[in-house]
Amino acid sequence: MATFFDTLIATIALGSLYALVALGYTLVYGVLKFINFAHSDIFVLGAWTSFTSAVAVTTLLDTQGVPPWWVGALVLMLAVLVCATTGYLIERLAYRPLRKAPRLNVLITAIGVSLLLQNVGQLPGYPVVRDNVPPAAATADASAPAAQGQTLATLPFGPTPRSMPQLLPNAVLNDSAVASGTITAGSGRGQVRLDQPIEILPDRQYALVVTRTVDGEPRTTTFRLVGIEGGRIEAGTDIGTQPRRDPIDFENATYRLVLSPVVALRLIDVLIVVSSIALMIVLQYVVFHTRLGSAMRALSFNTETAALMGINVNRVISITFVMGTALAAAAAFLYTQKYTSLSQPASAVWVLLGLKAFVAAVVGGIGNVRGAVLGGFLIAGLELFGSTYSEVLITAAGGSSGIGTALRDIYVFGLLILVLLVRPAGILGTVTREKV
Amino acid sequence: MSEFLLDARNISIAFGGLKACQNLTLQIPAGGLYGLIGPNGAGKTTAFNLLTGVYTPQSGSIHLDGRPITGLPPHQIAKAGLSRTFQNIRLFGELSVLDNIMLGCHLRGRHALVRTLLRTPAFVAQEAAMRTRAMDLLGMFNLAHLADEQARSLPYGDQRRLEICRALATEPKVLLLDEPAAGMNPSEKKSLAQSIRFIRDCFKLAVLLIEHDMGLVMDICEKITVLDHGCPIAFDVPAKIQCDPRVCEAYLGEPAADQPAPAGGGPAA
Amino acid sequence: MKNLAQNIADVPRSVAFRPATILVPWLACLAVALGVHHYLPMIVDEYWVNVFRRMGVFVMAAVSLNVVNGFAGQFSMGHAGFMAIGAYVAAGFSYYGSLYFRGEANVDDFMIQGTLLMLVGIVAGAFAAAGAGYLVGLPSLRLRGDYLAIVTLGFGEIIRVTLELTGKQVYDAKAFQDAPLSTLATLPFNGSTGFERVLPYANLFWVWLFVGVVCVVAYRIKNSSAGRAFLSIREDEIAARSMGIDLTKYKVRAFVLAAFLGGVAGAIYAHTGVNPSPTDAGFQRSFDIIIFVVLGGLGSLSGTAIAATLLTGLSEVLRGPESIVNSPAGVWSLAGIALALAVGSALLKAVGNRGWRVLAVASVAPVLLVCFAYLAQWLATAWGVKLSDYRMILYALLLILVMLLRPNGLLGVREVWELFGPEKPARRPGAVGPGKEPAP
Ligand SMILES: Nc1ncnc2c1ncn2[C@@H]1O[C@H](COP(=O)(O)OP(=O)(O)O)[C@@H](O)[C@H]1O
Ligand SMILES: [Mg+2]
Repeated sequence: MATFFDTLIATIALGSLYALVALGYTLVYGVLKFINFAHSDIFVLGAWTSFTSAVAVTTLLDTQGVPPWWVGALVLMLAVLVCATTGYLIERLAYRPLRKAPRLNVLITAIGVSLLLQNVGQLPGYPVVRDNVPPAAATADASAPAAQGQTLATLPFGPTPRSMPQLLPNAVLNDSAVASGTITAGSGRGQVRLDQPIEILPDRQYALVVTRTVDGEPRTTTFRLVGIEGGRIEAGTDIGTQPRRDPIDFENATYRLVLSPVVALRLIDVLIVVSSIALMIVLQYVVFHTRLGSAMRALSFNTETAALMGINVNRVISITFVMGTALAAAAAFLYTQKYTSLSQPASAVWVLLGLKAFVAAVVGGIGNVRGAVLGGFLIAGLELFGSTYSEVLITAAGGSSGIGTALRDIYVFGLLILVLLVRPAGILGTVTREKV
Repeated sequence: MSEFLLDARNISIAFGGLKACQNLTLQIPAGGLYGLIGPNGAGKTTAFNLLTGVYTPQSGSIHLDGRPITGLPPHQIAKAGLSRTFQNIRLFGELSVLDNIMLGCHLRGRHALVRTLLRTPAFVAQEAAMRTRAMDLLGMFNLAHLADEQARSLPYGDQRRLEICRALATEPKVLLLDEPAAGMNPSEKKSLAQSIRFIRDCFKLAVLLIEHDMGLVMDICEKITVLDHGCPIAFDVPAKIQCDPRVCEAYLGEPAADQPAPAGGGPAA
Repeated sequence: MKNLAQNIADVPRSVAFRPATILVPWLACLAVALGVHHYLPMIVDEYWVNVFRRMGVFVMAAVSLNVVNGFAGQFSMGHAGFMAIGAYVAAGFSYYGSLYFRGEANVDDFMIQGTLLMLVGIVAGAFAAAGAGYLVGLPSLRLRGDYLAIVTLGFGEIIRVTLELTGKQVYDAKAFQDAPLSTLATLPFNGSTGFERVLPYANLFWVWLFVGVVCVVAYRIKNSSAGRAFLSIREDEIAARSMGIDLTKYKVRAFVLAAFLGGVAGAIYAHTGVNPSPTDAGFQRSFDIIIFVVLGGLGSLSGTAIAATLLTGLSEVLRGPESIVNSPAGVWSLAGIALALAVGSALLKAVGNRGWRVLAVASVAPVLLVCFAYLAQWLATAWGVKLSDYRMILYALLLILVMLLRPNGLLGVREVWELFGPEKPARRPGAVGPGKEPAP
């Protein structure tokens, strides 16, 4: 049952991200009637901009651990800014000249733009940030012996996978503190002693959150308890912790012993869902209750007539692009906080991610805002439940592990083909017949 | 079983709430030259689409030469002998004029892969025959000297005639022409009228013509069906249609005036 | 007026039956393949021989993709998937075949039998790919342009994932000989590692023989009533249907044919000394091929072949020009070709043939390529960058520029030789020939 709820939570979080990206596809399709193939690369751009600016800001501030909340906001802003500008430029330079061209040409151009973004993104770049060295000095001394510290980021982003610095606290919302007090080091490395007796439940996970003061600043580390069984543990008994630290790291430290919930509800998941829903509501409002929204819908219905009615077609299309790319940037920022290891920009992982979001848009009914959201959750659900449970079934049947997980892409594309065959316009889409 | 070559009875279709065509009956005898008129949006093109299988009628039946063709896909209807032109010209623009006509000959030929790849004598003979036939047809319409041009590079009038030519290449029994005179000047229209009669006689087929130019329609058609809002409102010889009050009302949007609609002036639709 | 059947009956037998038309192209393929096989290694070194083998594979891939993307206008983005099917099936035949018959896969003196196994494998691979093409072609009936593109992309990914899930390769001949069928049932293709130890039976001769065959087949399809039917679908589906063309049949046919020829390309690829691996089915490879087709011209066989050749050459140049420059014979022969083409161009201009422009461009191209190689090398050392990092960027820019400036690719549906012929008087649009009245 725990597996079910874990998967459900993951589905809702991932589904929200898919939905945000799918909205970008759908918005652009709505006004221009073509698949913006480069949308997934905008998402990648958002993720990597988040990464680079996060590294830059945290290094400049020289923060340890989780930085203040405004850093996250700043990084998000930067990502949105960069992506929206790129989106605007792409539309202006590559797509606008092809407004009247056959759809196939636009599709090919979009593929070209996508390849361009991917490969520019992973050119071996100049190091922008080095540990403890201001960025300006870093480029100047690039030729000097590399004793200066390690390259944390490059611009463009470079062909190396990296891991995202943590900008939001990695908190579990529904855990419960069992005990707190001061801690002392135990008899060996990785051993601690608590100042009070505790009652341990069997088959449950516990986390030991240790805080100690270094140079006047509090530093928090989280450990797992190892080698314990259920039952009572007296004060002063040696308890094993993981990761293992030297005794000195436990000096003058306070602790909180936390009972991990069976099904963990993480702050980042809640944040993703809440902010996605907020963005979707804003978008829904913009599309259905503002002048801009009615202009967009008019354009979607018939571009020529909309132009005759005095709608500034180019402007509306630009704004739509900017909106779509901004949503992708927001999704990308949230993504980096949940899945902290970033593949290199041209990695197939990203393209697949973008494709799945696209599949979500198509399955829901492309051009339809609600369809994109529905599709996002549907795809995420299929992917996660499908892979989790087929993994369980296959390993139970004696198959090798990993097969079920690898099948997730097959499920998604299988669903796409199925939906398109049964309902070519998607679940919520309306069929348009070509007039002869 | 029926004295009509093309016999469509009570065909209807609705797009959502819009009844584009309701209970339309069109019956054309062999060698007939009939007209289909009506204000813009009356459903004339939709009627053609129903006849040629682009849309499937939601009710009613269509027979061609005694054979039921209701609900067949367009290519089978074309093979049965119903061919058409389009209101907004649909040539194969990138291909040459000759290729366009040879594509018209396509459905009377055989195209197995093996003969294509091996260039068997049967294949070569068929290609040669298609070419001769296409050149003959082009010659009839004085387009032969343009055979190697790209279809889209032709002037508008030539494109319209090329489309008719391509439709004839399919060896139809009934030819449907959708506004063939649109965008032509009076002298071109006159020669078009001539050639439509000529086609009917030379190819021994029946023609159904959609046209807005009343002069042309009244001049060459033997009988005319009038459509309004998807409904047939009149079917008669041209002289009677001209003074039918319902027709004037449909075109002018008001109860019939004393005078009949002037024959020559195309309605402002 | 006569109908078509009567027209056909009228065609004299002397016109219809010409053995030369039937045979000459195949003989030409053989001659070209033999020529390349014997003379190329005299001019260029080992490295470039391998480049030419790869080039042949890309030409086949691009030409086969053109059947569905170019002729029929059904934009398939999963072509690498079909190629991978061909590659794996063919490699399976030659690897497990030699394991079965010889008890060892890594045998050099197995050449003739090995080649036979490869040929059987090529046929089997092509049919397997064609079967997959049939499956993918079916949904194409209900999907328009970009949707179809996505579905085919998804199909390629499904192939890739499936290949990643295949079982361990069997190296032990004894084990295989004991239970060949039950071993094969586990799909022993070595998962994500890739199929190993497939012997490179496809030498220059075989590669270029099949390039010729694929090109002749594609060209004969293009220049036939079936090919015109493909083109008509691409131009206007509705008009095509009302001209009696069965969309279902022809769309599926286009997919099957393209997949079949793509399967041949993949099967050859597997025998050029590489390990076929699941990434060969991925969309990056499909995109490479699409780039060749789009740049060369959707519908132009010679255009795509030229684009595939030039871009493969270009990527070698970007890898470092030493490989060209280090082969003096190669440089001299390039120069010789350039000179011959230039002379030809001058001659054509003198006799008033509009093809002189083509030859002029063609004679400048190799010279430019070498110059570009030097320039690129110089810039790269000056700025300290690796040129091969910029290959895909260059391709992407080319793709966008071609779409903006020349939307039909280099040649559109035309073939190179259609650019030759007597100089035409410039025809003003709207200027019509004599007599507009139809003859009564
Ligand atoms: N595929 C379609 N979907 C929805 N409405 C259509 C379609 N085709 C035609 N219509 C509508 O049907 C009506 C008749 O159109 P049409 O037959 O083209 O008129 P006309 O008599 O001018 O040729 C019009 O109102 C048109 O908008
Ligand atoms: Mg009409």
